[in-house]
Order: sequence, then structure tokens, then C-alpha cells
Amino acid sequence: MKHGGVTKFSIQNLLGPIIVLILLTHFVGGASTSLQLVTQMALCLFVMVLALQVFVGNSGVLSFGHGAFALIGSYVSAILTAPVNIKDNALSMNQLWEPLVSPQVNIYVALVISAAVSGLIAAITGIFLMRLNGLAAGIATFALLGVAYNVFFNNKKIGPGSQALPGVPLIDNNWILLLLAVLSLILVYFINISRIGRTLRATREDAMAAPALGISIFKVRLIAFIISGAVAGLSGGMYSHVAGTFQVQDYYLEFTFITLSMLIVGGSASIWGALVGTFLITAVGQVLLMMEQDLPVFGIQVQIPLGSRAVIIALTFVAVLLWRSGGITNGKEFRIPKLKKIS
Amino acid sequence: MALLEVTNLVAGYGKVEVISDVSFTLEPGKSIGIVGPNGVGKSTLLQAIAGGIAPKGGTITFDGKNIAGKKPEDIVRLGLSLVPEGRQIFSGLTVRENLSLGLTGRRNKKGANEAILKVRELFPVLLTHENHQAGMLSGGQQQQLAIARALISEPKVLLLDEPSLGLAPTVITDVFDRLKEIIEMGTAVVIVEQRANLVTSFAEKTIVIRDGKVQSTLTSADAANSESLQRSYFGAGE
Amino acid sequence: MVQSILDAISLGGLYSLAALGLGLVFGVMRLVNFAHAELITIAAYTLVLTAQFPLAVSLLFTVIVTVFVALLMEFSVYRRLRGVNPAIMLIASFGLSTVLQRVYELMFGALPRSAVVAPFLRGDFKVAGLSITISSIITIVLTIVILLAMGYLIEKTSLGLQLRAASADFKTARLLGVRSNRLISAAFGLSGVLAACVALILVIQNPQISPYYGLNITILSLVGIVIGGIASLRGAALGGFIVGVVLSSLNTLLGNGRVYAYSWLFILVLVILLVRPGGLLSKGSELERV
Ligand SMILES: Nc1ncnc2c1ncn2[C@@H]1O[C@H](COP(=O)(O)OP(=O)(O)O)[C@@H](O)[C@H]1O
Ligand SMILES: [Mg+2]
Repeated sequence: MKHGGVTKFSIQNLLGPIIVLILLTHFVGGASTSLQLVTQMALCLFVMVLALQVFVGNSGVLSFGHGAFALIGSYVSAILTAPVNIKDNALSMNQLWEPLVSPQVNIYVALVISAAVSGLIAAITGIFLMRLNGLAAGIATFALLGVAYNVFFNNKKIGPGSQALPGVPLIDNNWILLLLAVLSLILVYFINISRIGRTLRATREDAMAAPALGISIFKVRLIAFIISGAVAGLSGGMYSHVAGTFQVQDYYLEFTFITLSMLIVGGSASIWGALVGTFLITAVGQVLLMMEQDLPVFGIQVQIPLGSRAVIIALTFVAVLLWRSGGITNGKEFRIPKLKKIS
Repeated sequence: MALLEVTNLVAGYGKVEVISDVSFTLEPGKSIGIVGPNGVGKSTLLQAIAGGIAPKGGTITFDGKNIAGKKPEDIVRLGLSLVPEGRQIFSGLTVRENLSLGLTGRRNKKGANEAILKVRELFPVLLTHENHQAGMLSGGQQQQLAIARALISEPKVLLLDEPSLGLAPTVITDVFDRLKEIIEMGTAVVIVEQRANLVTSFAEKTIVIRDGKVQSTLTSADAANSESLQRSYFGAGE
Repeated sequence: MVQSILDAISLGGLYSLAALGLGLVFGVMRLVNFAHAELITIAAYTLVLTAQFPLAVSLLFTVIVTVFVALLMEFSVYRRLRGVNPAIMLIASFGLSTVLQRVYELMFGALPRSAVVAPFLRGDFKVAGLSITISSIITIVLTIVILLAMGYLIEKTSLGLQLRAASADFKTARLLGVRSNRLISAAFGLSGVLAACVALILVIQNPQISPYYGLNITILSLVGIVIGGIASLRGAALGGFIVGVVLSSLNTLLGNGRVYAYSWLFILVLVILLVRPGGLLSKGSELERV
């Protein structure tokens, strides 16, 4: 993770990634039904990677706990919007706690609530977690994920336990998802260039060294953690409305690893890095999936053995780190080039 | 032929060049002082010679071989040992264990016992604390331990980075007396100090580093007037 | 009751072995090697797939294979990442872990492989009317033997001294002549041997080997070394032991609530870290260094 990051507002830096997002959503998302779903999922993941970027990318503290916020966001949005009869009947033999069965709210209200709940949980846990540094912080955030996963996996009173909660209403609209992603991007961008972002980067700890944290660093980290938790919650919520289900297993080790890889492969120091990482890994995964299924990719048909996709993705990831430990973008923001006047 | 010959050495960190052009030679069994103000790059120079950091340019010929860019663990085996700044003893290990670590840098394991005995003779105080944690020793004792540890590999050249750092004047005299004995026994010594007066009277010649380069060379002959010279260069006699 | 105590001690011992393997590598290169899990897994596969041979042959083969994979990790990936920010190394080890899991899946299939390893270690015996499983006794004895051997190696041999010195200050150790490549390879090799030992004990208890076999114990040992104090091997071993004992005790004490054992364990971990961020065995000075 290289020091870097942009400190001054620049409309080109902000518009660059947004325009790329719009183009991707328009051209890839509109190409076919299967690509539409891939694009929608990538938008959700992008919001998650943004959440990681604002905290991990700025503070240098690795968090393995953000899966918990995504999990909670996803859960909240799903439980608030899934049809009553599904919650009442389909769920693990009717064990769901009574007050959770009846609530029904609008999808967008539910999304706001997911972000708020995740942010709140980030605030409460952050008061403890943000006192730690280095490896201790890494393990402590992982403990948070461990507790969330363990509780949701086993408790059938609050949710579906190890099963899926089906019937979550879909946001079947690329542009709404895009809008949510862009809003998150703008929020994260402004945090990055604010005093909070600057202080975080100034006090980042790359060496995993663990000096006692000064009170101001603690506060700044806590604020970033809360915002980041809320954005992660939003991404989880979005994901339930794209997948149409909520399932605890979607937010554990693999999720944690893949989202952190997206951030680090792209380059954790910038929003542009988050974007490149998310869409590159998604694209590589998609292409390999098509190869596994022996479908033509851009007209070329190459078949690879079933199951080799994940090996190749993980290998690519390791190779990128070996090649460039600052990630592909190495901390740079993407700028839309200024148009030169033609004389 | 010179035992150690540094020519146009360039060294630094990342893109920053701290040492831009330093040359000097050292004959077997002789001594050389290197002085210069804090932050000028004296430690960087020694680290580059000992392999702690890779030089960016120039050559370092030791015993007829170019050692520039070699690993520190290989350089010490060739017979060049560094006593780093701040002593860097292993405070959690015992005195004996610290000394044993010095053995890893020996080219051949034969004669190890003799080397240990010789070092113990030179620094009897270490013997009495052999089983104590090195961190419990006084500053002067820790410096002696650091020198002793480097001597166990029986180097032809010993590099010392500010051995007087943080020591009381009487202790400094003590340490420098040992260094004289070491030179008399045939080890060539490169000694870095911030304060010129400590080394000009001690070493055959002393180079002054300024702005990454050798600014001047002083011999022990002009030690007396050099001291006043140094005062004017460094602005303080401390 | 007696069985529960024995179980707790044997699980603690097992976790301390896994933690030691992680701690050795962390000491010399500040790498949290998440892919240690896959060393345990490959050792377990090898044990099960060579179960038809005499135990000694099978064990020897297992150690060779595991050490080979450990060294392969170091040569192909970690050597090139030396000196890089530890967070990046940790993430890279995550990646390597995934690569190996998938490779195992391709090689051995996603379904568990199993075979009876050392059948004479199954079953139980009676002492003073109490029934005690043989495997718990074997585990404890094996663990003690391995820990003593490791203790001797680390405290009394030149390799051990170099490992301790390099863990405290690699730069100075190299100036004294410690060969970095060899020492790091040795640390990886030893962590491979320890992984093979852990796998042996695990396989006696549970011979159903899947690509994720080593994951759980590795995560928990990682938690262990951090609460024990990653700055020292003793801290690592102690932390691993505590996690094992606590988990085993929770499983006994919680009764029907044992599905939440992990939650309680993690909460305890958080509390320990908040009180002693550098781990239980840390001193103030170590806190700043690691
Ligand atoms: N590890 C390092 N990384 C980057 N810069 C360094 C490092 N060590 C020293 N420096 C810089 O190099 C310059 C020379 O330092 P040093 O060689 O320690 O000087 P001296 O020993 O003469 O006091 C100083 O400006 C210092 O800040
Ligand atoms: Mg210095």
C-alpha cells in the first residue's frame, strides 16, 4: 500500500471514475441478461470495495471485519422487505421471532436502514476495535466477523440460520444500482480529500507497528470506520436485492478475501484503484467462467478445465502483488484528460 | 595493496542520494576516522560497505574482491565486520548467546575457541556477566559486548559506528583504549564519530564528510591544529 | 470430567503446535502465513493416501511432502515479497491459500478423502473406573514430546539461537553472519514439520480430509499467537494453548449453547486484546517493536 491519495478537490478526479462506471453499466450491463446480472453484482461489490478503501486504504489498518457489516446490511434489508408469508412459512420451520415476521418496508427505506444499522454497529464496535493497531487490529476485526457469522449461522430466531432467505424483492434496474454506487463514490471521495482522510493517511501504519494511539488518531479512525461500516452495510443491502436472497455464507472468508483482493489488486490508495480492482477481477472471473463452460469469449473458444477458474483468479492476484505491491494503479487517481483546444 | 578501497561510492535510500562520492583507502592493520555532522551520511556509508544497504554506484574492493552489493552475511565471512550505531545487541539474549552469534560470521569453525578466549581476555567484564541478559548491562558494557561480538569472527577490518554514543567520558576512554589494543593486534579499523577530536588523535588519518563527499583529509600529524579546525567546521566543540 | 480436562489439554497442545509453526515464520519475516492451513491439509491428505503403508513410512513421506510444499511457498512467492509491507504479505498468503485449496480440490476432489490411520490409537481404556480415549492420551504425549524437541531446538542449538536473534532484529543478525535465505528456509521447513505433526494428531481424531481441512485450526491458532504475544515463540505457543483449552472447555460447559462457543471465544479474544494489545506475554518494549 503506497502512500498517496489525492488531497485537493478536482472535478476531473471525481468525474473520471463516474464516467467509467456509467460506460461500464451502459455497455456491459446492457449487453445481455447474464452480463446484466454480472454488472449488477459488480456494482454491489464495488460499493463494498469503496467501503474498504475509505478505511483500509486511508488508515493502512487491515480490516477483516467488514464482511460483518455487509452481512448485517444484507440481513436487515432482506428481513425488512421479504414477503410476510415467506418469513412466516419457508423459514427454518417457523422459528423466526414474531416481531421480525410482520415488518414490511419499501426497498429504499430498507437500504437506508441497513446502512444506518451497520454504521451503528461499526460505531459501537469501533469504540473498542479502533484502539488497536497492526496485527491485533486485524485479528480483532476478524473476531467481529467471526461473532457475526457464528451468531447468524446458528440463530434461527433472528434469521434463516444456515439456510437462505428467499423472495427478497429485486432492484432490477442497472441505473438505480449505478446511482447508489455513484453516491457512495462521491461520499468516499469527499472523505478521502477531507481533513479526516488526510489525517488518516498521515498516521497510517504500514509497518504493522503498534505504538499507542493518540486520541485524535483514534477519533479520526473511528469516524472513518463508521462511514465505512455504513457503506459496507449499504453494499450488503444492495446485494440482497440483486441476488433476491440473503445467506450468511455469502459474507464469510471467501467474501472477505475476494473484496480485500479487489482493493489491493487495484491499489488501495485510490478510488480508481477500487474501481479497477473490482471490475478487473469480476471480468477475469466472468471470462474464465465462460471458458469453463466452453462458451465463446469475444468469438474465441478456449476451454479450461472445470474448477480451474478460482485457481487462475487467485494466481493472478498473487502475481499482481509480486509484480507491483502497490496494486495496478499504485495509488493514482484516474483523471479525465483535459480537452485541448484546437487552434 | 590496500586492504579496503572505496572508490566513488554512491549510497542512499529509495531515490534519495545521501552519499554521492566518497573514496578512501585503508591499509592492513591501520586505522581511519570518518567524521561529519549528524545526518551527513556516515552510518549510510558504513552500511553500504558492510552490505546493510546496496550501494548505488562506485566500487568497494576488500582484500582484492569487489564486495559492492554483496549480502552482509557474505561480507562478514570475508573478514569485514560492522559494529552498528547504537550497538544493536540482542537485549533479550544472554551475553554468552550474543557472543555465540558472532561465531556465525566465521569463515571456518576452526580456531573459534581461541577467538572466544582472546575476546574474553580483552573484555574481562563480559566474562562475569556471561549468563545475564545483555539488556541488563550498562551502556559501556553493551558497547564492549557489541565490539567483542564483532571480533569473534576475527575480521581483518572492523567498522565502528559512533562507539562513543551515549557513554560517559571515562567510559569512552576505556573503549578507545581497547580499540588501540585491537589495532595493535593487527585488525584494521574504520571508526565513525560525530566529534572530530575523538578520532583525529587516534586514527592515522581522518576524512571529513560534507554534502555527501569527502571534504578534507586530516592526518594525525595535524591533529592538534585540526581540532580548532573542526570546531570551525562543525560550529561547536561539545 | 477427567476426559473433558484431557480433551481440553490435548486441544490446547495441538493448537500450540500449529501456533508455533506460524510463529516461527512470523518471527523471521513478519509474515502471517495464512497458507499454513494448506500445509496441514497436504500433510493430512498424504497421511490418508499413504495409510496402506506402515505408519513410519507414511509419516516420513508426509514430512517430506509437507516440507517440500512449505519451501515451495517460500521460493515461489514469499522470497519475492520480502521486506514488503506485512499487510500485503498477509493478503498474498491469503491468495496462496486459496490457490492451494483449489489445487487440492482439482487433485483430490471436493469430497472428503478418508482412511483409517493408526487404528491402534482408536478406542478407549479404563483407569479407576473412568473411560478415557486413547487418542487424547496419545495427543498429549505426542504434543509434549514435540514441544520439548522444539524447545530444545530453539533454546539450545545454533539454529535456534539464530532464529531467536533474527526474530528480534534481522538486520543485525545478518551483519553478524546469519544467512538470511537459509534461515528463512529453515523456518519454513520447520513450520512444515510442525504442520505434519499437527496433521497426524488431527487425522487420528478425524480422518475425513477435504481441501479446507487445515483452515479452522489455522485461523484459531492465528488468533492464539496474537493474544499470546506474537513477539515471542513462547507467547505464540501459550496463546495457541489458551485458545485450544478455552474452546474445548466452552464446548463442554455450554451444553446446548455450544454452537456459540466461537462467539464467546472471539469475545474473550477481543477483551484480551483490549487489555493487552501486544499479547499476554508482551512487555512494554516489545509492544513498540512488533
Ligand atoms: N532507513 C532510512 N531510510 C531513509 N532515509 C534514511 C534512513 N536512514 C537514514 N536516512 C537519512 O539519510 C541521511 C543520513 O543518515 P545517517 O547515515 O544516519 O547519518 P549520520 O550517520 O551521518 O548521522 C539522513 O538524512 C537520514 O534522515
Ligand atoms: Mg549515524
